[in-house]
Amino acid sequence: MDLSLNEKRLLVALKGRKAVSVAEIAKELGATEEATLQYAHLCSGRGLAEVTREVRTRYTLTAEGKTYAAAGGLPERQLRDSFTGSIPVKDLQRHPMARIGIGWMKKKGWVSLEGGTVEKTGNAPRGPDEEALTAPDPSGEGAAMLAARGVLEPQETVMYRVGLTAAGKSLLESGLDLREEVGTLTREMIVSGVWKDLPLRRYRVDTPPRRVYPGKVHPYQVLMEEMRMILLEMGFTELYGDIVQSAFWNFDALFQPQDHPAREMQDTFYLGHTEPLPPGADRVREMHEKGGGIDSTGWGGTWNNGKAEQCVLRTHTTLLSIQHLALHPDPPVKAFAIGRVYRREAIDPTHLPEFEQLEGIVMDRGVNFRHLLGYLREFYTRMGFPEVRFRPGYFPYTEPSVEPEVYVEGLGWVELGGAGIFRKEVTAPWGIEHPVLAWGLGVSRVAMLRLGLRDLRELYRSDIGWIRDTPSAGFLAPDRARKPQE
Amino acid sequence: MPVISLNYDYLERLVGTDRETLLSRLPMLGSDIERLEKDHVDVEFFPVRPDLFSTEGVAHAMRGFLGIETGLRDYPVRPSGMSFSVDPALGSIRPFLGSAVIRNLHLDPDAILSLMGLQEALHWAVGRGRGKVAIGVHDLDRVTPPFRYLAAPRDRSFVPLDFDRPMTMEQILTDHPKGVDYAHLVRDFPRFPLIVDSRDQVLSFPPIINGELTRVTERTRNILLDTTGTDLRAVMTAVKILCAALAETGATLETILIDGTPCPDLSPAVRVVQVKECAELLGIELTASGMATLLQRMRFGAGTDGKDRVRVQVPCYRADILHDWDIFEDVAIAYGYDRFEPALPPVFTIGHEHRVMKESAALRGIFTGLGYQEVMPFTLSSEAILFDRMRRPRSEEVLPVLHPISEDHTVVRTEILPLLLETLEVNRHRELPQRIFAVGDVVKGCHNERHAAAVSLHPAADYSEAYAHSDACAREMGLSFTMEDSSDPAFLEGRRARVVAGGRPVATFGEIHPDVLTAFGLEHPVAALEFVVTGAPGSRGRPGIPSPDGR
Repeated sequence: MDLSLNEKRLLVALKGRKAVSVAEIAKELGATEEATLQYAHLCSGRGLAEVTREVRTRYTLTAEGKTYAAAGGLPERQLRDSFTGSIPVKDLQRHPMARIGIGWMKKKGWVSLEGGTVEKTGNAPRGPDEEALTAPDPSGEGAAMLAARGVLEPQETVMYRVGLTAAGKSLLESGLDLREEVGTLTREMIVSGVWKDLPLRRYRVDTPPRRVYPGKVHPYQVLMEEMRMILLEMGFTELYGDIVQSAFWNFDALFQPQDHPAREMQDTFYLGHTEPLPPGADRVREMHEKGGGIDSTGWGGTWNNGKAEQCVLRTHTTLLSIQHLALHPDPPVKAFAIGRVYRREAIDPTHLPEFEQLEGIVMDRGVNFRHLLGYLREFYTRMGFPEVRFRPGYFPYTEPSVEPEVYVEGLGWVELGGAGIFRKEVTAPWGIEHPVLAWGLGVSRVAMLRLGLRDLRELYRSDIGWIRDTPSAGFLAPDRARKPQE
Repeated sequence: MPVISLNYDYLERLVGTDRETLLSRLPMLGSDIERLEKDHVDVEFFPVRPDLFSTEGVAHAMRGFLGIETGLRDYPVRPSGMSFSVDPALGSIRPFLGSAVIRNLHLDPDAILSLMGLQEALHWAVGRGRGKVAIGVHDLDRVTPPFRYLAAPRDRSFVPLDFDRPMTMEQILTDHPKGVDYAHLVRDFPRFPLIVDSRDQVLSFPPIINGELTRVTERTRNILLDTTGTDLRAVMTAVKILCAALAETGATLETILIDGTPCPDLSPAVRVVQVKECAELLGIELTASGMATLLQRMRFGAGTDGKDRVRVQVPCYRADILHDWDIFEDVAIAYGYDRFEPALPPVFTIGHEHRVMKESAALRGIFTGLGYQEVMPFTLSSEAILFDRMRRPRSEEVLPVLHPISEDHTVVRTEILPLLLETLEVNRHRELPQRIFAVGDVVKGCHNERHAAAVSLHPAADYSEAYAHSDACAREMGLSFTMEDSSDPAFLEGRRARVVAGGRPVATFGEIHPDVLTAFGLEHPVAALEFVVTGAPGSRGRPGIPSPDGR
């Protein structure tokens, strides 16, 4: 049993005695009453001692009571002793105790009052209240009488007694090591080896510790690192690029028509800044207007340079893919990006003006639609969504397009992103001759499912309490995708 | 995207099958089921398929998809003998006109609802909010051909739809609800577009409002369609889609001569596509006849052209077919997305981390090692937070967003530190000490810069803590550096410094100025530091155009 030295000393002090007051034991141990009581409770918790609590009422003289005691008695006694036989009321009223004493004398039947004269009756024996004035007995009626008159006041005191239990007694019989305990193990003790003979203080191992919070990576970042690892393991090259992009890269290079609703001011953050068009822009123009020599009709109309030069906060990471392909038109290419994108949305639980998107592309000879589905299934499975199904979809820059859905317990089929094969109108201007499988994924949507969040804002609001309470990297198991708690 | 309400009874009647079959197959045709109601289902179709924006159009497609009736639908069109003239003065206002005559209509309430929904969806998807194309539908029997589309004086008056008194076109722009909504489309023109008949009665003031005269009701039997706009292809697409949808209800179509040319032209476009190219793109085995059968289910006309090619007739309403691959997608949809066997190709590549991401991960390691917790604040902020609250002068390098959505999000951050102080502000009720950091992009001018910043908030936070941690961070980054005095007003004088490496400042740190603390509602000292990662000589990551191999 992990008894502290203090507990042991208390037990020893109790040896062979009945219950003793804690105050008394404290004196013997040379400790404070509070500390001694704590040792007693610890021993009691182990079943070695029994602590009893007694509440006592003690009476003390009030200020009024003290003057009576000093003057030798209650007012009525002082008054009765001040005359013999009888006395005119007028004369008795000069006595300092007259105001209170006359009434009490009459009430106790010590005097009679007739025709302005006070006359003693009987011999006025000393009552219990008078005894209580000199020695108040808490249980006697006298003390209660005086308390009612405001001469005495009651005070409650709590007294603890501690005594050994049978278990305590038998432990004492088996003997206790009473040497001083060592708290801190010092260098000297270790080096000299004396620690072997020292009683090391034992800790109570189940008391709550002081809580500390390790430095850690944000749970959302942990998930993004996990996605990066999956793609790196699958042989993808990571892309990184500017947040500010020309509309050319953000829209036109992806064959998004210039009058597409997504390009309007209501949906996209435009900046009051323009970027000159890159080499190759004329081929993109040709594609938009006439279909650029690949037997496409193009969008028709006139493609406007000015619209393409305007800068925007990128609305997706797909532009990083086409920029990369423009630099690397030869197969094979496998690349991905995870980055922040911007949409002109008012903030609510499911919409934010900025969030993360994941982007992946595969370009090689002979890759096809089934391979796209294969990559999607592989990636989603590794992300913790083993059930994947595919539906037709529409995205301006892919054909065929597909909307992958994953099954989430409690939610059913959830759409997490989009995918497809880049249109020839997108790839041809950059001399890319082989199919480009491409997919995008709403990273924050995955994070909400994996972290069990209902409100997208929680990812960015950075509640320190939530971050402290969310388990660390590596312990967010892939099967943690779940329905947010109601 | 447009959401179309499909009435079960009407759809079942038009397709000739039960609702369970319809509901289970609709998604595989390419739609999102939004809501299932008792008598109808709300379905979202892709914006490039306006031909599916009506119950009639969906029924036509579903009959093919389910194999009930496949192949190209023939739209017999005969001349109406009517004509339309276009005023050349419209050339700079709203030059293009499309039109058609539809006879023998029997519009029950379901059909009228569907037609109105289609018109609205077309205005959105093809018309781009009526700017590019606007559609008018008129009771033909109330007016007399020939019709004229002209540029009229702005004070010309007529009785607009839903009103019982004549108004001038200028008054309509200010007093009629539709006029108010769409005034921006015509307001700046000296004359306004107007459609009148031979007796000078007004049919329409496109793209704003029709006249009350030609209102369509359940009793209407014959219709005159007009589509006007700024893009010829879109104007014709709208006419074709409306004609195709109305033909589904059993109506008959007639052409009208627009300046001598018959409209609409509902003949299919022809494309000859390669079977091999399609099979390779989709990764499935295909024969020419098999592919033709699949395309017929998507309502294309299709026949083999030798054993390697298929001759495809693209229905007039399929404005989304720009290229052969658009046809191949329809082959895939008819084949069934659920029938494709996913496969992984043997593409051998070696993965590369991007340098910036690698360095960011390393920085996360350094700061968590020093006991900091990562936070991920927004990158959108405001100049009030970034500069005013920080006691820093407003910077030239910041690019304001043109139409911010709130005053808290007007610029992209140029520093991370202010966002961290904001994070401390919202966490004031949390236990101290609070040590948080963030690694991420800021934007200077047009380009990203990767920064890492950290703050420590507790009663004993001071310069020494910021110094020790900045020193540790600089050493861990492998920098060869010196410390020098800083004049950054966000920090207390005499308790602020810079890390200088390779002759340039790469970090600022110190004790945050009490005025800054007060501005963020903080009551304890804060030790803070911010490193520029991509600018540092130790860093090999570069912002801007993605570094291709990550090295």
